[in-house]
Amino acid sequence: MADDKPTAASETAAPATTVAPATTVAPATTVAPATTVAPATTVAPATTVAPATTVAPATTVALATTVALATTVALATTVALDPELFTFAEFDRDAGERIGYSNYSYWRSTLRMFLRNKAALFLLVLLSSLLAFTFLQPILPNQRSPTMINLDPTTGHQFRNLMPSAEYWFGTNSIGQDLWSRIWTGTRTSLLIGILVGVVEMLLGIAFGAIWGYVRKADRVFTEIYNILNNIPTTIVLMLLAYIMRPSFQTMVIAMCAAGWHGVARFVRNQIVIIRDREYNLASRCLGTPTRRIIMKNLLPYLVSVIMLQTALSIPGTIGWEVFLTYIGLGLPVSTPSLGNLVNEGRLIMMAPELRYQLIFPTIIVSIITISFYVLGNAFSDASDPRNHV
Amino acid sequence: MKRLLVPLCILLAIVVATPVAAQRKSADYTEIYAGELTTINYFASASESEQIMSANTVDNLVEYDRYGIVKPSLAKSWTTSADGLVWTFTLKPGIKWVTWEGKDYAEVVAQDWVDSAKYFMTKANASPTADIIYGVVKNGEAYFKGTVTDWAQVGVKAKDKYTLEYTLEKPVPYFLSMLTYVSFLPVNGKFLAEQGAKFGTTNKAMLYNGAYIMAEFEPQTSRLLVRNEKYWDKANVPINRLIYKYNKEMSTLGPELFARGELSYVGIPSSIIDTWMKDPVRKDLVRPTRTSAYTYFYALNFKPKFPAEYQPENWALAVNNLSFRKALFNALDRKAAMLTSEPYSPDRRLQTTVTPRNFISAGGKDYVDMVELAAISKADSFNKTAAADFKAKAMKELEGKVSFPVKIPMPYNASSVEWTNRAQVVEQQLETVLGKDFIDVIPLSFPATGFLGATRRAGNYAMQECNWGPDYADPETYTDPFVTGSNYNWPELAVGYAEANGKSKYENMVEAAKAVTTDMKKRYELFAKAEAYFISQAFVIPYAKGGGGYEGSKLEPFTCPFSPFGMSNLKFKGQIVRDKAYSTAEYTKLEADWNAERAAALQKTK
Amino acid sequence: MFIYMLKRLSQSIVTLFIVVTTVFLLMRLLPVEGYLGDRYDKLSVEQREAMLQKMGLLDPWYVQVGTFYGKLAKGDLGTSAIYRKDVPVLEVIAPRVPYSVRFGLVAMAFSLVAGLAMGVHMARYKGRFWDRAWTGYIVLINAVPSAVYLLFIQLYGTDLFKIPLLFDKYKFSSWVLPTISMALGGIAGYAMWMRRFMVDELNKDYIKLARAKGMPSSAIMVKHVMRNAYVPMAQYLPAAILATVSGSIYIESLYSIPGMGGLLVDVIQRQDNPMVQALVLIFSSVGILGLFLGDVLMAVFDPRIKFVKSEGAR
Repeated sequence: MADDKPTAASETAAPATTVAPATTVAPATTVAPATTVAPATTVAPATTVAPATTVAPATTVALATTVALATTVALATTVALDPELFTFAEFDRDAGERIGYSNYSYWRSTLRMFLRNKAALFLLVLLSSLLAFTFLQPILPNQRSPTMINLDPTTGHQFRNLMPSAEYWFGTNSIGQDLWSRIWTGTRTSLLIGILVGVVEMLLGIAFGAIWGYVRKADRVFTEIYNILNNIPTTIVLMLLAYIMRPSFQTMVIAMCAAGWHGVARFVRNQIVIIRDREYNLASRCLGTPTRRIIMKNLLPYLVSVIMLQTALSIPGTIGWEVFLTYIGLGLPVSTPSLGNLVNEGRLIMMAPELRYQLIFPTIIVSIITISFYVLGNAFSDASDPRNHV
Repeated sequence: MKRLLVPLCILLAIVVATPVAAQRKSADYTEIYAGELTTINYFASASESEQIMSANTVDNLVEYDRYGIVKPSLAKSWTTSADGLVWTFTLKPGIKWVTWEGKDYAEVVAQDWVDSAKYFMTKANASPTADIIYGVVKNGEAYFKGTVTDWAQVGVKAKDKYTLEYTLEKPVPYFLSMLTYVSFLPVNGKFLAEQGAKFGTTNKAMLYNGAYIMAEFEPQTSRLLVRNEKYWDKANVPINRLIYKYNKEMSTLGPELFARGELSYVGIPSSIIDTWMKDPVRKDLVRPTRTSAYTYFYALNFKPKFPAEYQPENWALAVNNLSFRKALFNALDRKAAMLTSEPYSPDRRLQTTVTPRNFISAGGKDYVDMVELAAISKADSFNKTAAADFKAKAMKELEGKVSFPVKIPMPYNASSVEWTNRAQVVEQQLETVLGKDFIDVIPLSFPATGFLGATRRAGNYAMQECNWGPDYADPETYTDPFVTGSNYNWPELAVGYAEANGKSKYENMVEAAKAVTTDMKKRYELFAKAEAYFISQAFVIPYAKGGGGYEGSKLEPFTCPFSPFGMSNLKFKGQIVRDKAYSTAEYTKLEADWNAERAAALQKTK
Repeated sequence: MFIYMLKRLSQSIVTLFIVVTTVFLLMRLLPVEGYLGDRYDKLSVEQREAMLQKMGLLDPWYVQVGTFYGKLAKGDLGTSAIYRKDVPVLEVIAPRVPYSVRFGLVAMAFSLVAGLAMGVHMARYKGRFWDRAWTGYIVLINAVPSAVYLLFIQLYGTDLFKIPLLFDKYKFSSWVLPTISMALGGIAGYAMWMRRFMVDELNKDYIKLARAKGMPSSAIMVKHVMRNAYVPMAQYLPAAILATVSGSIYIESLYSIPGMGGLLVDVIQRQDNPMVQALVLIFSSVGILGLFLGDVLMAVFDPRIKFVKSEGAR
């Protein structure tokens, strides 16, 4: 997958460089791939050079210094030429081979770029710990079941609408269920829905979108299918599915996937249409590369960044959608806590100021998740764009 | 001096202008609503919100007074034949149909009821309330089904302009109470024919003879009802205008609007009642809402058709064991369940009988206080020790036949938050009392779409919360869900209850009660015996009555016509809107007064 | 070009037909009891039959489809069966459209102006205070569920400015808050898009060239950057303008605006088939037309975009 990247990267980078020093240096040193080094020196300071270039960092640095030295020397003065400084390099065939390609790793560069974004890093840690905690929470000691109704031991009746306290950290809801565990269970449910839906939509969307975008003959058919699917109201689909399968987690996931995948397909298709006729694809096609290979090797890798961004955004999007579905009465039953029905339940009582904690806690979680995925998606998208790797 | 003069003049003008000074003063009534009317055509309406409009704009032959006693409305008087089959009504002369602008259209005559009956009983018109009229009127059902085609044979006749005669299929002792329902409203035949399918689609496509005229009807915005100045009983209509404003978020915004003083009435959702009760100002703005005659009960299914994973055969064996049923019966804590919808004073909605108190009485005695039913209605059946005893008994009797714990699928409508919560409460509560070694209650969520068709009507449940509303003033109406042909819980299939004629004991008791049509006291007692038997055998677990909850209201309670069914209690007639909300204390006092006055009034009519 | 447009439009009609028919059939899969209302248990078998007969639901599905298209060909969309019994569908819809469109258009204009200005502002001060402040706003709007913040705005907004809580068409002040609420999301969207576009565009070589050759900043903005910004806008705007017909479900419910918002969801849940069919027909036509107009406009703005595909390599 990463094989294609350096080509694209060096292609784009190359024309931008001013080659003047390189040409002067080239004869002086025996470095064969001058092009790889040259742009680096001109574009960015030495720090970038080291990791960007390849095989043995030591040699490269050495080379770079030599180059730099040579340049300064060549440009600055011809007076103090000391022949002692110059030795003939041994011709080594293996070394020549080794340096003949770059061992640039796409994913490593992506990761490096990503780690540089401190805000994203922080949110990544926050989100992962949130995620980890939603799964850890049920096995922690002293946790209540999210559906257990807590009874007042003196009256035997429900602990209704208790404010947050040492006993019930987030308080209780209108029938005495512990909001703390409800919120974590709800977060788990909603994140699971979000991730499942995001992944399934992405797989379906990419598969269909790629064919739709690349195979011209399929375009018309797919466009019509898209128009049809897009214009059938989601409400009908959801209602029918809930009617057939009863409202539940699975129903929700299936319904959302069914209603959302074609949007992703359209997005992928548009991206593919933009790049399918670029020269390298044209060349590939001329060489007789099969369509499948072009899609898999030439097109999709190029789209990794946008697709990742789209997936990252679709997860909070799905949670928002779930809130909306609950609002119109097609969400999960409140016996299955989710952020959607927690927010909606909270919304109904927001007129009562002292009960607002029931709204505020889930809203905060929704917001954290949304912001995190949003920023992370953007950061990752930037990081995974090979143009930013140089 | 001048400042006093103007009000004085106005006062004088009012006194002069209203010679019948009985009119009480009232502010306008303003309400906010979330569900728009689908129609104001009373031939097509089946929901209460629509019938509120009909109740206030079109009058019937008779109506109820504030104690629930029948009194004349458009009919001046009536007589019944000795066999109870022919009812003859004499109309008040000079009652007018008026248009939406309040202009005279025609006089209300006997033919108007005949035209209306014909419209109801014409199958093509597909009226959802036709059954109520064609079920009692002679040849009505046959005409509806098309086996009788000659309208002259149907038992509704205009003898002359002011004389109307109903002939019934069989004696119906509660016929008068049925006359307060939409199915017996009159219509002007000429106007109906003119309007055709448009009748009742807008306020202009309607004629009015009731207390109010719908002057404006802008769907999804507002509607306005103004007092009918030509109304025959105008002196008893103090409220000038009924203003309805639309808002879909009513349950959230309504209470706030009421607190800001913009509304005369609002329902307070149970989720915020705590807050209001704790607020020193708002506490006095809320009062309890009257309960209704709707009945809620947990039905135990004798024809289980649920999926094999919940072991329907196992349930069938268990439910046919009286001890098993009694264990459930005694284990259900109504109060715990009721807290999900009525967190304050849950008791006032709870009931241990199917027929609610205050529904009907004979000889000054309430139905639920008659014969064996009295003991049941007075005591709460929730009893942990009794439940434990019955559990032990059931486990012994069913040992080896039934596998414990018995799986009890309990469907609920997931779109109702209260019901969803209640399902969880009941599950936990029953399992705590009876132990998870005995029962395993499994709440199952179903969507609102086709809910009853997928659950109760299909027999797809073991235990389910069900409800039923009365259609007329007779205990018979509450037996309908439990007799053969109904689709509630099929108690006729219970093993060991069949009598010589092949029918169950309960059904024979009901038949015996139905046969008594003249001696009301005896009739009611027989029904009470049947109901007591039905409950003592734990075929169902009575749970609660409908209505209830809390409201903010400036509307005077207990002065509107009262009836547990039909449309009389939907009328605004007789009520006033004052400028301050009624508090719970005021309400409770008025309720006590009303109960006492009612008891006295009932004694008098006996 | 003209022939291409004709071809595309005729294709759309086929699509429309498939969509409406599919929705028609899907609605018939819903349970029959949904048509009969709360009195279901008390209705006799004959009554149920009569009611379904009146709604035309007893015929086989192909007859129902045939009847529907037969009427449609005569311009008759039928009458509402449940939502507003016996009222012609168009009479139910027609009075609502103006409210939704008016609110939608004003909100859109407002969000376009404010959003684009904000985006430009952000791009100019990229990485500095204003950029961050507006980014904060965008993130917040996207993060907090709109069902929550809209309600807060309504409650405290009306309280603060002493304006009516609910919409009243005769009071101008009651138009303000809903419009602003409706624009909030749009502003964030446009600003984000504009900022990204500007940042990308300003780094492009041709802009650098333009700068290098001494072209004034304002001219660069107007002649190059803005000119290019129109193109994706052109594709998007017609669809967005037409989509205002469907209204906003949250805001219209909150402020009691008698518009189209939520109407479709409502009639689907109530199983009012004629209403659903008519609305799906209208919304799909509007959607398809919007995309089509977008493509046409895009070609007008960007001469590089051609409709007629020359088959082959390029």
